[in-house]
Amino acid sequence: MIWLTLLLMACITFATRYLLMEPRLPIRLNTAAQRFLSFSSPAVLTAIAAPIIFVREQQLQLSGDNIYLWAALVAIATAYLSRNTLLTAATSMTVFFTLKLITNH
Amino acid sequence: MRATQHDRAGAALRGALAALPLCFAVVPWGLLTGSLAIESGLSPAQGQAMSLLVFAGAAQLVAMGLIQAGAGLGSILLTTFFISSRHLLYSMIYRRFTADQPRRWRLGLGFLLTDELFALTSQRRGDFDRWYALGVGLTFYLAWNITTFIGLVAGQMIPDLSSLGLDFAIAATFIALVVPTVRSKAALATVITAMAAAVLCELYRIEGGIIIAALSAMTVGLLLSSASAGERRP
Repeated sequence: MIWLTLLLMACITFATRYLLMEPRLPIRLNTAAQRFLSFSSPAVLTAIAAPIIFVREQQLQLSGDNIYLWAALVAIATAYLSRNTLLTAATSMTVFFTLKLITNH
Repeated sequence: MRATQHDRAGAALRGALAALPLCFAVVPWGLLTGSLAIESGLSPAQGQAMSLLVFAGAAQLVAMGLIQAGAGLGSILLTTFFISSRHLLYSMIYRRFTADQPRRWRLGLGFLLTDELFALTSQRRGDFDRWYALGVGLTFYLAWNITTFIGLVAGQMIPDLSSLGLDFAIAATFIALVVPTVRSKAALATVITAMAAAVLCELYRIEGGIIIAALSAMTVGLLLSSASAGERRP
């Protein structure tokens, strides 16, 4: 069952990457579809990241004890100021693991 | 005029070098993917095969979470499709670059078309170099599979690897990717909608949370951007 899942997932990811490159496929995206898809990246990435930051053990964690929240705020500030992916990831992960060590979570 | 062997190797090498800094950002991801594979009950061979065949960080991590939670095949595949849907746009742009290429190049670059490859090659208008793109793509493919392998080995030795907080690497990378793209009210509303909907779905254990959150956020973005496009018309 896992092998089947893997193979079908591979088909899906390859299809989304290759399909519109295929010259024999006359599909073109209209402006509305392109605009809709232009929001796909921020929508999907935020939808994956938000529960990691805000939810611990099925509970909303908005308190100061939530080190994910603090480190995420550092990431947002760094990304906003530097617009640099690598610097943002490195800075916020350093803050995260330092907080983790200090608070001994 | 055909490029010489030397030019090709040079272009591929330049691509590989351009990809290196971003490979470092992929390290915690690969480790997490490998260790989560073990934790969610995949065999090491299955964990490696996933990175070799699927080659999509976000989709793999989310799928393993779903496998671990006992989700059905349909919901895993649908979620995979939605997570991968952004590649449809990349593919559309790449159509222009690869229209004159032989089929094996289209298939090969299509397989390697990740966020990173797209970001590093789509800016260079007019002078798309397939060897440069291949250098970038293969470097990421290698980095992804090597770090997955290390994660698989570490995951078997250190059982609690994923409790170390490597999942924050996902959030950090995505914040780094999303924040610079928020340049309009529509984009900001998209992000806020996705955030609220995803958190609500997680809290109330609603299946397909990522699909619901992404679709509603994309709809909000589309509606708001259409509205502001309409206002600008005379």
